[in-house]
Amino acid sequence: MARDDDLVAYLAGEGSSRLDPDEIGDLNELRAVLADTSTWDEAPADLEDRVVAAIAAEARQAPPVVDLKTARERRRFGMLGIGATILAAAAAVLAFAVFGPDREKPDFSMALQATERAPGVTGKAELTKTQSGWRVELDASGLSRLDNGRFYEAWLRDDAGTLIPIGTFNEGRKVTLWAGVPVTEYRTLTVTIESDDGNQASSGEKVLSGTIEP
Amino acid sequence: MLGADTVTRFAAGDGDAVRAVYREYGRLVHAVTSRVLRDRTLAEEATQQTFVQAWRAASSFDPHRELAPWLVTIARRVAIDVHRREARRAHDSVDLVGTSDPALVSPPPSAEHIYEVWEVRQAVDALPDDEREIVRLQHLEGLTHQVIAERLGVPVGTVKSRSFRAHKRLAARLGHLRDAPPANRPATADVDGGR
Repeated sequence: MARDDDLVAYLAGEGSSRLDPDEIGDLNELRAVLADTSTWDEAPADLEDRVVAAIAAEARQAPPVVDLKTARERRRFGMLGIGATILAAAAAVLAFAVFGPDREKPDFSMALQATERAPGVTGKAELTKTQSGWRVELDASGLSRLDNGRFYEAWLRDDAGTLIPIGTFNEGRKVTLWAGVPVTEYRTLTVTIESDDGNQASSGEKVLSGTIEP
Repeated sequence: MLGADTVTRFAAGDGDAVRAVYREYGRLVHAVTSRVLRDRTLAEEATQQTFVQAWRAASSFDPHRELAPWLVTIARRVAIDVHRREARRAHDSVDLVGTSDPALVSPPPSAEHIYEVWEVRQAVDALPDDEREIVRLQHLEGLTHQVIAERLGVPVGTVKSRSFRAHKRLAARLGHLRDAPPANRPATADVDGGR
């Protein structure tokens, strides 16, 4: 019991010469953890909602699960499906002939981080060099839709802080934007909330941001 | 410990189950990410990402196993990934980074140390409120019993007895950390979750 009291006293910072060096070492480690701010830091109250929203956003993007009954019913319409496939293939050939091979693998990808204006939202952008410029395909499905004079605008920014607008949109589901500047120089992509007030400059109300890693 | 049903519903993305898992383990995950990253904003990001990644992998997790070791493994890995990302940014523009930037400080703590952080945080959370506050003021703020008594408006004797009870509880609860040699301490789980 005396030894246990020595351990407790030492842990409480009252010191004891009756403990062996190994015990003192272990207790010093525990005391260091007790003195560390990370042991006592509390997450902000809204982090719970952000976690729930982030998982909900991912769940919405997950491919749907098809049950067997639905699969069997779909097979009954197999002939119709084959016909539709032939038509789709023909359409693809036509699109290729008109627009060219435009769906190559992206040159860069980036994860987009949300600011406090869009808690829990996640997104990504893929950037592909084409003859017409850089195609930026952005997907941030968790962004709330904006209408009635309000919209999102995407920008590219270089290290000097120069902003280039690359397009506006109403919601973040599968957005295609275009940039006439090299993304290797304008490596940071941001999305802001804007309004049709005639002011061309960025509002500064950032909701998403990401940077191409070198 | 949460039931297997809650874990199963968590894997399905059920909002209530996600909240239940977060409320059970959120503070512990945050303690781990805070310890690795030493930055409030980054720790929040890593905490959120930990739960997202846990959800992504939950279908392969055996719901009858304990979630805590699995979550602490994910939390440490996510925090290290964030740490490395910030370190790459610091490498690119060192002149723009403050000297206290987490990317410039020492390498991330070991898995064993992270496990200790997790266990100490659990032990502290299990203390009664009045005892926990004494421990916090003593260790985090380095205050003497006298100063604590003045701050809390209670007699010094009360502070001393609360302190003794609190540290006795902590010593009992954390005894396995002192007694187990490193090789025998409970291992953090593999991220696959045991299936």
